[in-house]
Amino acid sequence: MISTAPLTVGRRRIFGSVFSPVLLDAHPPPHPTFDRDQTPKVTPSHSHQSTEPRPDQETWNQAWHAVTAFLAVPDGGFAPIYNYRETDGSEILKQWNRLSPPAKDTAEALAFLTSSDAQNFRDDAVPWGLFSWYGDEIRRHFLTNLRTGLYELLNSPEKDGLLRKIVDCLQLARRIYLAPIVHYLLPLLATPEQGRVLTQLQRNFHTVVSYSLPWSQISPLLTAELARDALVILGIDTLTDDSSEASQDDMEVDRKYSVSYHDWRMEDSDEARAQIMTEGEDASVTMARDRLLAFLNGLQLVGLGGEKAQKVFASVMDIMMTEFVRAAYTEQWQAPTSAPQHLRQWIENVYARLAVQVLAIIHTPSTTQGASSMDVSFGDVEKWQEMGIARLGSLRTSEFFDVIVEWPASIGAVEDLRHFTTHPAARNHVTQWFIHTLNRRLLHPGASTVQILQLYISIIRAFHLLDPKGVLLDRIARPIRRYLKDRDDTVKAIVSGLLAEPPAPGEPVVSSSDTLVELAAELNKAHQNSLRNQRGELDWDDMNWAPDPVDAAPDYRKCKSSDVIDSLVSLFDSKETFVKEMQTLLADRLLQKRTDFDQEMSVLELLKVRFGDSALQACEVMLRDIFDSRRVDQVVRNDQGLSSKPRKAAKATIKQNVPEIHAKILSRFFWPEIQDQEFNVPDHIISLQQRYSAGFEALKQSRKLTWRNGLGQVTVELDLEDRVFVDEVTTWQATVIYAFQAESEPEVTKTVTDLSNQLQMTATLVRSACLFWVSKRILAESPRDTFRVLEVLPTEDEQQPGDPSGSGAPGTEGAGSSSDDAAAAAAAAAAAAAKESAEAATMEKMNLYWQFIVGMLTNQGALPLPRIVMMLKVVVPGGFPYSNEELREFLAGMVSRGKLEIVSGGNYKIVH
Amino acid sequence: MDYTMEDTQNSAPDSLEATKLNAGAQRNDTQSVTKRLQAELMQLMLSPSPGISAFPDADGNLLSWTATITGPTETPYEGLILKLSFAFSNNYPYAPPTVLFKTPIYHPNVDFSGRICLDILRDKWSAVYNVQSVLLSLQSLLGEPNNASPLNAQAAELWDTNQEEFKRHVLARHRDLDDE
Repeated sequence: MISTAPLTVGRRRIFGSVFSPVLLDAHPPPHPTFDRDQTPKVTPSHSHQSTEPRPDQETWNQAWHAVTAFLAVPDGGFAPIYNYRETDGSEILKQWNRLSPPAKDTAEALAFLTSSDAQNFRDDAVPWGLFSWYGDEIRRHFLTNLRTGLYELLNSPEKDGLLRKIVDCLQLARRIYLAPIVHYLLPLLATPEQGRVLTQLQRNFHTVVSYSLPWSQISPLLTAELARDALVILGIDTLTDDSSEASQDDMEVDRKYSVSYHDWRMEDSDEARAQIMTEGEDASVTMARDRLLAFLNGLQLVGLGGEKAQKVFASVMDIMMTEFVRAAYTEQWQAPTSAPQHLRQWIENVYARLAVQVLAIIHTPSTTQGASSMDVSFGDVEKWQEMGIARLGSLRTSEFFDVIVEWPASIGAVEDLRHFTTHPAARNHVTQWFIHTLNRRLLHPGASTVQILQLYISIIRAFHLLDPKGVLLDRIARPIRRYLKDRDDTVKAIVSGLLAEPPAPGEPVVSSSDTLVELAAELNKAHQNSLRNQRGELDWDDMNWAPDPVDAAPDYRKCKSSDVIDSLVSLFDSKETFVKEMQTLLADRLLQKRTDFDQEMSVLELLKVRFGDSALQACEVMLRDIFDSRRVDQVVRNDQGLSSKPRKAAKATIKQNVPEIHAKILSRFFWPEIQDQEFNVPDHIISLQQRYSAGFEALKQSRKLTWRNGLGQVTVELDLEDRVFVDEVTTWQATVIYAFQAESEPEVTKTVTDLSNQLQMTATLVRSACLFWVSKRILAESPRDTFRVLEVLPTEDEQQPGDPSGSGAPGTEGAGSSSDDAAAAAAAAAAAAAKESAEAATMEKMNLYWQFIVGMLTNQGALPLPRIVMMLKVVVPGGFPYSNEELREFLAGMVSRGKLEIVSGGNYKIVH
Repeated sequence: MDYTMEDTQNSAPDSLEATKLNAGAQRNDTQSVTKRLQAELMQLMLSPSPGISAFPDADGNLLSWTATITGPTETPYEGLILKLSFAFSNNYPYAPPTVLFKTPIYHPNVDFSGRICLDILRDKWSAVYNVQSVLLSLQSLLGEPNNASPLNAQAAELWDTNQEEFKRHVLARHRDLDDE
């Protein structure tokens, strides 16, 4: 700049002698002021340095001026370009004088400047001088006129299609710049020169464009632009758009082209499947493709293509792959799966096709000669397919939990996953992720034990399919098993599931929310399987043997992990817990009044196969007790003349108020602790019991009967004035209603306290029984805790006074609802009674613990609470089931009773 | 040097094996002892005898217990609380437990460090005895010392000659251990 300044002055003087200065102002000095490296040798400064100006210097100067005047781009600003960007540009080209052929003298000047004469005259650089001047002219014009406009456009808030506008503008600008050159200048040059000149000018243009438009702003726009069209071209929009789903149905017939996995699966043959993707492209897809390719062409032309655009394209395609996998395969779990094949085909036919087309356009300048080197090789496609499978794998991993929930409708998803879990890292990923989901979604207090068990069963099955060796299952089962062990009701859920009625063959196994019917079915099935013996690792002839995978845990043992029952039963350290629970449940079921216990027997037999006879001996005895007692019952009744010989007479005896009595004789030692309510049964029942006992003792010497009055069922028949009531009720309910039996007076009224004293029954139980009878509309309560027999059902009019005051129901309410209320009240009272008896049982247990505590504190001196709990946990057989807080409460009770005192440091001390 | 090295290496597996076996056997022993002691404890808890009581120490392995005997009425020890320690060996009940009086006691058959001279704790021991029976024997020993083989000759002599003086000695020697 500094060095050239005096030269400019000198040149002005020369030009000024020929042309008016006004023109000079309008046009930039032909001398490129801001180019420093290319042009010094071609600037006309030579003329000044040469001591003797050549004769045709003047001619040359004139020609130069004419040509530069012709070629100079008018400073029209940005607005016209922006306005004309949609047109083909001929308007503005004309306006800006870019198309009109040069005047005759200008043409001559052009010819002169490009001719070899001038070349000789200006060393060899004249045409280059002209072109580099023009390059600078482009730059100047762009920077002064377009740059600000474009920049503002780029920053405009309206981002939609913004990049297209910009590219259109740039394309128009490019045409404006290059049109005269292409039309009038290049034909004057030799062919090899033409290419060089054009490339040079284009490069100039590209440089200034990329200089003015920061790439950091372009690339997000480009990403958005590419993504929009790629979504259509790759068919992802049809997958995600729910509304198209519906419309698809009506155009199902003529819509041949689809990338949807569902449609693809519908086709039977492989050819048809291939066709559906490659042929009959949608109009919208073709449009989008053309649009995108045209846009990319423009992009490439204006110099925004190349490597940078390729990078953007790569990242977009990366997103597209994930997007497609997500859209196409989410919740597509049907078996047998063909998602991997579908994905491979899609990548080959659709994805790779787009990639090839796009990359052919936005190649890097360096590879212009060898464009084929940018082409997508087959190896690339394969790599993409692998990536696609990996994406599918991670999709399946993320939805694996739901897959398990849907099991077995979702077998296909597990098969997909098998394609993915081929190396340890992927397997690790699957298990890690799954354990995480488990902790979040399943292993929390909100899930019921049955739910967890049910899922665990599904997990066992699914993982068995995924990894027959069971290593993965081993890994993910650990947290579940640990968690299940901590749940109190796990054993109960399992055992009741085992004892549940299995569904009839052919019916689907539907486990309700509170029992695991599935387990019963599984038990039967597993038994059949186990008949086919497994010799496991020692089977030398097993041709399918494979070593344990490398990622097996050190303490991993090959177990028959597919065996659901084994997995569940082995949750517990010993079989004893399991057997104990089994006994309790079995006891409940056996005490019911039923004629056969086939289900229990078969379950027991099946379990014996697993656990061995000895473990289930107690259960065995229980079952035998029931069958034996049936026989004994018959014998005793015969001996004692308790049974009525002919059937008809039996009815008569009932009528005569001599009830029949049957007994189940349980071997106390083998039965679990049964909660019992003690009370006095009616006198003549006692006498019957005594006769029965006598008969039994005669039959079985040295054995004694202890009657458990709280257990059992009674069939009662109540003769009321206007009706007869027959039902099967519990013994205590029967005892209570028996107490109401009318001797003389028509209306018997009793209070709960009376009954409680009379029957030696707890008040809650009495109340519960009374409410039961209220719900049956045999008794009525008024006032509270006082009951009388409803000999005659009240009519509607009488309803109101007769309404149980306890229920507090409005008088208008119908009789039905009041009896419903009463039934609910009865149920609540029964629950309260049950709770009371459970509490009594707890107290009894606590007594034992109290002995331990006394022993401990007597011998070890005063101890703090945590220490006591710890010691109890160690020394009490079967463990100490209560928490610190519960024990603290209990001990507080003992302190208040004066049996303990609290000494310094919160230690408990026994009071002697 | 080399030879010895080799030697050790060669012999190593064997000795290892041996320790393993021993360990296994020992563990089994400990288990059966623990089981037996647990049963005894349960029995003590379910049917407590008046005046005696015993409980495992806090270390949690059940092999050492502390027992308490309340001095029987109509003996010089009436109302006194006497603490004892039980230490069970690994082959209990085939060997007697080691029983010591922790509370200082003045008694013909107990020496000043608490050792007891009682036949069933030595040569007359049998596996049918248990903590409860030992405690009951000791309780009766308090009222009827065996003066034929005294550990504390002075006490034996006083027992026979001067009950008043004996009781004075007992009370002088007794010290409650409770507030340790």
